[in-house]
Amino acid sequence: MRRIVVAKVGEIPAGERKIIVPFRGRAGIGIFNVKGRFYALRNICPHKRGPLCTGEVAGRSTTSAPPSLTGGFVGYEREGEIIRCPWHAWQFDIATGQCLVDPDVRVKTYPIIVDGDELIVDVDVNDFVKEG
Amino acid sequence: MAQTIDKLEQIHIGKKGAAPIAAPGWAGRPADRVKLVDCDVHHSFHDPHQLLPYLPKFYQEHLLDQGLHLPGAGYANTPFRRTRPDIKDPALQERDFNFSLEFTQKELLDRWSIDIALLTGSASFYGYAGLPDPDWAAALCTAYNDWTIEHWLEKDPRVVNAILIAPGDPSLAVKEIHRLAHRKDTAAVMMPMQSPELFGKRLYHPIWEACAEHDLPVVSHIGGGSPGSTPTPSGFPSYYMESRMTRPSVASAQAASLIVEGVFEKFPNFKVALIEAQQMWAVPLMWHMDTDWKAIGDQTPWLKRLPSEYFREHIRVGTQPMHEPPQTEQVYQMLEMLHADETLIFCSDFPHFDWNDPVTVLPKLDEHTHRRIFAENALDLLRISDDMIEAVVA
Repeated sequence: MRRIVVAKVGEIPAGERKIIVPFRGRAGIGIFNVKGRFYALRNICPHKRGPLCTGEVAGRSTTSAPPSLTGGFVGYEREGEIIRCPWHAWQFDIATGQCLVDPDVRVKTYPIIVDGDELIVDVDVNDFVKEG
Repeated sequence: MAQTIDKLEQIHIGKKGAAPIAAPGWAGRPADRVKLVDCDVHHSFHDPHQLLPYLPKFYQEHLLDQGLHLPGAGYANTPFRRTRPDIKDPALQERDFNFSLEFTQKELLDRWSIDIALLTGSASFYGYAGLPDPDWAAALCTAYNDWTIEHWLEKDPRVVNAILIAPGDPSLAVKEIHRLAHRKDTAAVMMPMQSPELFGKRLYHPIWEACAEHDLPVVSHIGGGSPGSTPTPSGFPSYYMESRMTRPSVASAQAASLIVEGVFEKFPNFKVALIEAQQMWAVPLMWHMDTDWKAIGDQTPWLKRLPSEYFREHIRVGTQPMHEPPQTEQVYQMLEMLHADETLIFCSDFPHFDWNDPVTVLPKLDEHTHRRIFAENALDLLRISDDMIEAVVA
């Protein structure tokens, strides 16, 4: 078990992020505060190796049907929970690393432990996680 | 007891967006030759008023009075305002993506070891090709070209120019080619692909003749349009994604027009690259045209060879946007059918959101095909002198 302090809790307010480089590789990881919960993602997009964690945090548009007079209202959901890679705009669920545009794609995630005012990554846990 | 990483470099990303981080790199090139040529690097002023010093008084007043008033198709839904949000030019305002040479050097040329970059102007400027006033369009091209000379070409030997010309009055386009052809950094001529008439039509032949005279290729980027013209015979697509799917038909039509009208019989050293319109459309075009030529070539007897032979000798296509088929093996099949070692040139489309970096754009290729796509096809196409090559590999 090897735990590494990556940030103080107060450093990353809700909706913000911190990118730590290098960390487990040259591109580092991104730590996100999504509505008070912390998540960490590898900062390499599985699509074309873009710096995923520098992308825009947003939601996604949603609708039940194509636009029409009586239906197909385009709404917006999951604001603040989704990151779009700055290269080619693929969307990923920050909490799970799941790519939302390709079910076979996932970015590596790192469990974050909150210990007092410290945010900690247990890097050994991840040695057993298969990378996408 | 947890260990800290205080000693490691940390970058904090605030509300204002992302800061640059170390993008995955690209190994250096051998010192003795050009390894990487990028045939589509967008460059732009960040304020149209930067063109004022390069315009005659009459058009200075016009610009101050009316702005650029460029026509556009109205597709608003390019994400991130079209450009990569992971990089920010510190010299520019938030959300201004019209990068300086210095920033382009840092984020593209140096980071990715680009030996030669062909400047293609700003895609949002290509509306000049659809301006009703041909003199205004030509004046804007001249101003843009002169601004590019002063602020880009004279500052870095790695950047060369595809000089902008407007199709509205071909005689003005010819004049601009003759004006700038003597410059070593004039490597190509750029006329937006969505022209008022097809490229093979005789009204444009004086432009191609001037290009051929100076050994300059045309590198035509998607864009432009003309008043009243739609990207399909059935009007405008509603959405941006659809509009992108019309590009191969535009490129296909231009290639067929150039070939069938006999432009390459008339100007045997003339070459045309059609870029940012995908590339695989060229395969069915070549096959279909060869079949038709055998059947109905008697209607166009000035074509002495198979249409695919004209294509492979005279027309080039760019790598952007590159297909990503479900199986990697299919990429190799595509490249073989395309004769990619003759026809395909690397185009990054920097700094747009859908750019292709030189490392991941294609799977690993054999050495010959790699060299052709990433350097030699472009060096054969563009007008780049030996001493310019020496300057960049030195």
